[in-house]
Formats: sequence, C-alpha cells, structure tokens
Amino acid sequence: MAHKRYAMVIDIRRCIGCHACSVACKAEMAVPLEVNATWLKIVEKGVYPDARRFFLPRTCNNCEDAICARNCPTKATYKRDDGIVAVDQHRCIGCKYCIASCPYDVRYINPLKNIVQKCYFCSHRVDAGLVPACVETCPTRAIVFGDRNDPRSEISQVLAANATNVLKAEMQTGPQVFYISADESTMSNVEEEINYYTEPTLIKLRF
Amino acid sequence: MEHGDINVVYSVEHQLPLVMYIGQYFFFTGLSAGSFVISVIATLLGRKEFKPIGKITAVLAPALLIIAPINLIADLEQPLRFWHLFLYYNWTSPITYGSFLLTAYPVMGIIYAVMVYTNRQTPAKILGILGIPLAVSVHGYTGFILALAKARSLWNTAAMPTIFLVSAMVSGIGLVVIIAAIRWKWFDKDATEEQRAGDKKLILQLAQFMAYTLMLDLFLIFSDILVLLTAHSDAYEAGLLILTGNFAPLFVGVELILGALIPMILVLGPTRKSMTAVVVASILVNIGVYAMRYVMVIGGQTVPLS
Ligand code: SF4
Ligand code: SF4
Repeated sequence: MAHKRYAMVIDIRRCIGCHACSVACKAEMAVPLEVNATWLKIVEKGVYPDARRFFLPRTCNNCEDAICARNCPTKATYKRDDGIVAVDQHRCIGCKYCIASCPYDVRYINPLKNIVQKCYFCSHRVDAGLVPACVETCPTRAIVFGDRNDPRSEISQVLAANATNVLKAEMQTGPQVFYISADESTMSNVEEEINYYTEPTLIKLRF
Repeated sequence: MEHGDINVVYSVEHQLPLVMYIGQYFFFTGLSAGSFVISVIATLLGRKEFKPIGKITAVLAPALLIIAPINLIADLEQPLRFWHLFLYYNWTSPITYGSFLLTAYPVMGIIYAVMVYTNRQTPAKILGILGIPLAVSVHGYTGFILALAKARSLWNTAAMPTIFLVSAMVSGIGLVVIIAAIRWKWFDKDATEEQRAGDKKLILQLAQFMAYTLMLDLFLIFSDILVLLTAHSDAYEAGLLILTGNFAPLFVGVELILGALIPMILVLGPTRKSMTAVVVASILVNIGVYAMRYVMVIGGQTVPLS
C-alpha cells in the first residue's frame, strides 16, 4: 500500500475569525503561555465604511521537503512515513537551528520543557483515527484534513476542485497546508511591501 | 481608497532562536582560524624573525578554539544532551559537520603547537599544511550554518561563507598584531636594537596585510548588500534594515566606519609607521568584526517571517 500523505486545506471563505482553532490547539497540545503552535493572523483593509478584516489561520505546514528536518543535527526533527514532521522530545538538544531555518516562524521553545515544539497535525489523534483538534473544533468546518494520496478522500476532492495556494512557495519546502481564497495581505510577511506604490521615498532603491 | 490602509491586527512572532552566544562563537572560531593561518605562514616561511609570531599564534589557535564551543553548549536549551550531536548525527545538517570539525581541529592544533615549540620543523610544516584546510573549514562551515538556514534572507546568500572567512582573517591578524605588539613593548627587552627594529617592521607589515584583507572584506560586503537590495522583498527588507534601519548604527557606524575605514586610514595613511596607531587599528578592527557577527546573527533574524 502506498504511503499516506496527510495534508490540510483551509477555506478562508468560511473562516469567521473566531480563534477556536488556536484555543483547541492550546488545550490539546498543552501549549504554554507566550508561545503558539496555531494562531490566527488578522489584517484590516480599507477605510470605514469600506473596510474588512481578513483572516489566515497559521500553523506548521508539515512540509514535504522540510528544511527543519534537513537542518536538525540530531534527527530529533524527522519526517514520518505519513508526511507528518515530528520532533522527538527526548532527542532534541534545543540548538534552535530548526527555528532559525523554518521560513514560517511556527516553531517555538517550550519554556517548561526546554525543547522545540510545533504543530504535528495532532499525530497522536491521527494515529487513533481522529482528525486534529483544530479540524474537529472549527465551527464553520473551514479546515479539511486527510490523506492526499487517497483520491477518494474529502481533501483530495477539495484540492482537485478549488484553486489553492501555499505560503511562500518560493522557499521550496513543499508546504502541506493549502489555503483557498487567502488574501495577499495576510500571506505576505513584509508589511512595507503593501504600501509600496503609495509614496516613493529616497531609500526605495529598487532598480 | 488609499492603497496603504492595511493594518496587521494580530499575528504571532516567536522569540529569536539564536542569541549572541552564537555570534560570539563565530567571533572566537574566526580569531582561531585567522591566527592559525598566520602561524602556518610563519612556520612555512621558516625565517628566524617570524619565529616568535609563529609561536604565539600556535598557542592562540587551539586556546581560542577551546573557548569557542563553550558558547555553543551554553546556548543549547538542553546542554547536557550535547553528546546527541555525535551519537545521532545528520549528514544534511551543517551543525553535524561542525561538531566533528570542532573536535578534530583543536586536537590537531595542540599537536601542531607542540611541534612548533619543540622546534621540529618538518612535522610542524606538514601538520600546518594539513591543518589549513581544517582551519578554513572549521570557520567556513559557520558561514554555511547561516547560509543554509534558508528562511533568513540576510543569511541565505552564497557570499556568506566567504565573508565569514575573510572577516576571520581580518580579526585574526588584528589579534596577532595586538599580542605581538604587547610582546614587543614589554617582554622583548633583552633583544638587540637590530632585532627590535626587525620585529617592529614585521608587526607593521602584518598590519598592512590586515588592511588589504579588510579591503577584500569591504568589497564582499558591498556586493552582498547590492544584491540584497535588488533581490526579492525579504532580502530588500533585510538590506534596508542594516543600511538605514535599526541596525544601521552598528553596521554602518561600528562595522564599516569604526571597524574598517578608520583602521585602514590608520594603517595605510600617514601614521603607518606608528606602533600605537597600528595597535589602535587592530583593536578597532576586532570591535568591527564583533559588531559584524552581531548584525549578522541578530539582524538576520529581525525581519519578520509571518
Ligand atoms: S513549516 Fe517550518 S517547521 Fe513546519 S515542516 Fe515546514 S519547515 Fe518544518
Ligand atoms: S532544536 Fe531540537 S529539533 Fe531543532 S534542530 Fe536542534 S535538535 Fe533538532
């Protein structure tokens, strides 16, 4: 049997920005204060009355070619056969090179355990046949989770029928969290870039 | 509607993973590699007046390289698990190369120092020649640590390992000049006038060599920044951060002006015959290289990722 390849699709058209996924994650994974494995990025656009908020649930992409696993010197971060990128708590030495290498800022030092953690697609739940806590809790069912290698799974059908996007595709890590209808302003990390064509300044050295 | 009305209301940024321990470690390995190369050059040339410098640097190199990894272990969240690096190595990680290089290099350095001190010329020369690639890689790999962390655009450039090597040479020569000058001033009294004049000439020559290496360093930094400013948005952001942003005082002020331009003027300008000027220049150069490590390590992580 072919390997499974777990992935996630987040449909931003359905997201109402309720933070339920972040809360479920905190509770399920016992994520300490000050750090987050999953969070909701919120961006406001426009001037009243023509204003709107845009949301982007953020988490580890459990990348296909995960730079964190490639750069981990002890193989504490490793890729499971089903595609989930896991961290072995007993092996991690806390060198933090993986945090420095990940383009998505989704890894953190657990201040209680002094090791590095992140989202593992709730691998303990997945192993037990359940879906991750955020997927289960999302009230609008904006998050779909499943095996991309199974053409009959819901996620394969959603991926086949919709235009999707990933964060920073140029980083060549092959992110496995796909977004439908995510706004550029939420996906971009460089804020100045958005104001780029408003007022040219002296230091805009673009040639 | 103006295009600029976009506000990030909420997002999460995690703490900086690598702190100044790492920069300090880069600084010390750089000093070590630089002084080793000087020592080997002195041994290979084999001239009598180079002997003292060859000896000083032969001790400096392993001594500094024993201090350097202490920074690394102190930076670990789980320092007692450092042995995992050797047991569970991962050949795709530059840190794994580093752990083995960092073990082999001081051992070789100590044997080399013993050879130099017991005046066994041939083994010292052979070890020196074998040791140069090791010294270059022990410092060069630190450039790869930064360059291969692809998330950070300030680091992820092909120039990074070379910039690290060249700045290591600069700071290493600077340190050798300082120590040789101290020896010349206070511990060299029983030498003849002629010998002292020869030693002074040698120190001044070393300082000039340092100034020329600095020029190469400045050229590399210039080309790196120029490419950053014309590359993709993250790189552009990183370039602005060190040129005009929060890190500008350190980068432009300390690294470029205080740590490169002023020393170059001191060493090559009208004061080039003055021992004081040369020593001041060497101290400034080391301050500049330390600032460079800070700007690279901390500044590189300051551009937001999410
Ligand atoms: S998002 Fe970052 S932490 Fe997660 S797998 Fe990809 S590179 Fe690793
Ligand atoms: S902090 Fe832990 S998981 Fe991350 S690279 Fe170091 S050993 Fe690997």
